[in-house]
Amino acid sequence: MVLSFIILYVLTLIYLSIADRFSNHTTIIAIQGLLLFGIAMARLHEYHPVELSFIIVETLVFKAIVIPAILLRVIKKTKINRIHSSSTQFGALVMSILALIASCTITYYMADNRTDMIFFGVALYALLSGLILIVLRKRIFAHLVGFLVIENGVFLFSMAIGVELPMLINLAIMLDILISILILGMFLRRMDDDMHTDESDALTSIKD
Amino acid sequence: MLTYIIVSLLLAVAPLVVRTERASNVISALFFLVQVAAIALVFIFKLQDSVMLSVFRADTMALLFHILMTVVLGFTLVHSSSYLRAEGVSARSYKAYYTLLMLLAVAITCVYYSDNVAMTWVFLEATTICSAGIIYHREFKQSLEATWKYIFVCSTGIAMAYLGILLLSTVAEHGALDYAALKSVIANGNPLYLKVAFLLIVVGYSCKMEIFPLYTVGVDANYAAPAPASAFISTALVNAGFVSIMRIYTLYSGAIEVFEWARHVLILIGVLSLAVGAMFLRRTNNYKRFLSYSTVENMGIVAIGMGIGGVALWAAVFHVVCHTLVKSSMFFQVGIMHHIYDSDSINRLGNYMNINRVGAIGFIVGTLVLLAFPPSPLFVSEVMIFSEIVSVGSWWLLVTMLVLMCVVIYAIWSRTLRLGYHSNQDELHLSAVNRRLSYFAAILVVLAIVLGVWQPEILKSAIDEIVNL
Repeated sequence: MVLSFIILYVLTLIYLSIADRFSNHTTIIAIQGLLLFGIAMARLHEYHPVELSFIIVETLVFKAIVIPAILLRVIKKTKINRIHSSSTQFGALVMSILALIASCTITYYMADNRTDMIFFGVALYALLSGLILIVLRKRIFAHLVGFLVIENGVFLFSMAIGVELPMLINLAIMLDILISILILGMFLRRMDDDMHTDESDALTSIKD
Repeated sequence: MLTYIIVSLLLAVAPLVVRTERASNVISALFFLVQVAAIALVFIFKLQDSVMLSVFRADTMALLFHILMTVVLGFTLVHSSSYLRAEGVSARSYKAYYTLLMLLAVAITCVYYSDNVAMTWVFLEATTICSAGIIYHREFKQSLEATWKYIFVCSTGIAMAYLGILLLSTVAEHGALDYAALKSVIANGNPLYLKVAFLLIVVGYSCKMEIFPLYTVGVDANYAAPAPASAFISTALVNAGFVSIMRIYTLYSGAIEVFEWARHVLILIGVLSLAVGAMFLRRTNNYKRFLSYSTVENMGIVAIGMGIGGVALWAAVFHVVCHTLVKSSMFFQVGIMHHIYDSDSINRLGNYMNINRVGAIGFIVGTLVLLAFPPSPLFVSEVMIFSEIVSVGSWWLLVTMLVLMCVVIYAIWSRTLRLGYHSNQDELHLSAVNRRLSYFAAILVVLAIVLGVWQPEILKSAIDEIVNL
């Protein structure tokens, strides 16, 4: 069961590299939230009510519903729904495949008996995919999606390591990330309003 | 600690519900008194080293940097009031500024006191959120750009640091992530994991300490924020980054093999920061960016001191303490200059010695202290770092540092002289000359010079305790 979720997760990352509409990006983020919920539930050893409700809030509510809703609202307000025309899908796909190969290789050499190799490798691939999205895409919205992919990768990574942090710390981490995304979304809309731009190339007015 | 956090947070949000700017000033004064009272209570009830709420510890490092932050906060509140009134901001904007500044102070204080690797991360991320509003406060095109870059790069960087923390937590027993517990078991960890974790954490936190590689967002933030807030960000927040890295450094001293490697990483980061500082100090044409690059350069020296270890580590902590006093004073002076010239442009401003003699002398003396001319306390710390470098026989490092520091001295001194004595090319607003504020800002430089001549026993023993690995 977990393995099928993981394979689907890898497929969402590959599809993300070739998707050219931001609404598709948002759908992928929502699907990743659902998959993370499935993975977290499948790995839960015992159904403790507090732990269970935390997983539901973090994955199902925030990652699969609230954050995609914020992204859709940004798309609606800014009226931008495509990645830059000059961005090539093929190049991004090649980079994504290379990242997958690199993740497998690094995992083979790095993972020890305390970590889950499959989770470790996929988490690493998610991180690299997020970074590739930020570096290759020009539109700022894609950077925001890249940041979310990295955050999901970090969530997977915590499962690979198998660390159980205290609930208070988990809650603080989740709130921090949610507020950051809210603020990023808010500023993205403000940039569209005030600077009439949504491309990172336009952010060059501060220089020495 | 819980009472302190609740009272501070209530006071921080209080300006949003009051009507006048005067009421905001009173609340901010109360907030300052709460900080003083909190520090006093720790000493009165002998709470040093006690664990609070199971994630905070009032150790010497936390107390020293809380005291420093409170000193800078007092000056920041006074200068901010004058700065915002001169800018003619709306009452709503005025109150929002004070709220964000106080929230930032609470988040920074929590970073200082955090005794848990994950909680340090949580509060550092919280400082990003609070700083964002302050950076955007002036609401012009560049401040929007700087704010976006700051939030985005800090959040991504700190997400990387979180990865490092997860890797580090593989050594934890029963999820115990407090520094002392981790230090006792770190030697059992996988060396490769520990090395990658250190790299990720230092790179992530570099956006707060303003060192290589993520220093750029800090420079942009200081440029866009109001000058008194830049003084606070460039000192108290930079110190939060330093404290976070210093705690990881202390933690790694438990794993000797990896610790040696980590120290080499810090030396490399320090040299690169120093090189970046030297290069951009020559290039930049804005006084606030100029001071920010000087922060990058000084934090580079601190990272080198940490990397070398021994006496140089002591000097690094002392360097941070004195840099806080000098750099905040210079940012306050730049804030006063901004109102006189309505510009921060290095190439256009001049004749400051005749326009505001007190401010000009304050700025020039501050520059000399920053450049480590005796009796500057930075002279003391830098000589200690150099002597330790010589004693370990790292001649390449000594030569590299000396060459880069010569470039820094030339860049900073030539530009300071230009401000004082060259002819001015910008329109003047002489009504804005406020000598009382210039005198007030100069107090911090005088304090720094006093530390250069005489280091009180209490400060020496505090630093001894901090560097006792």
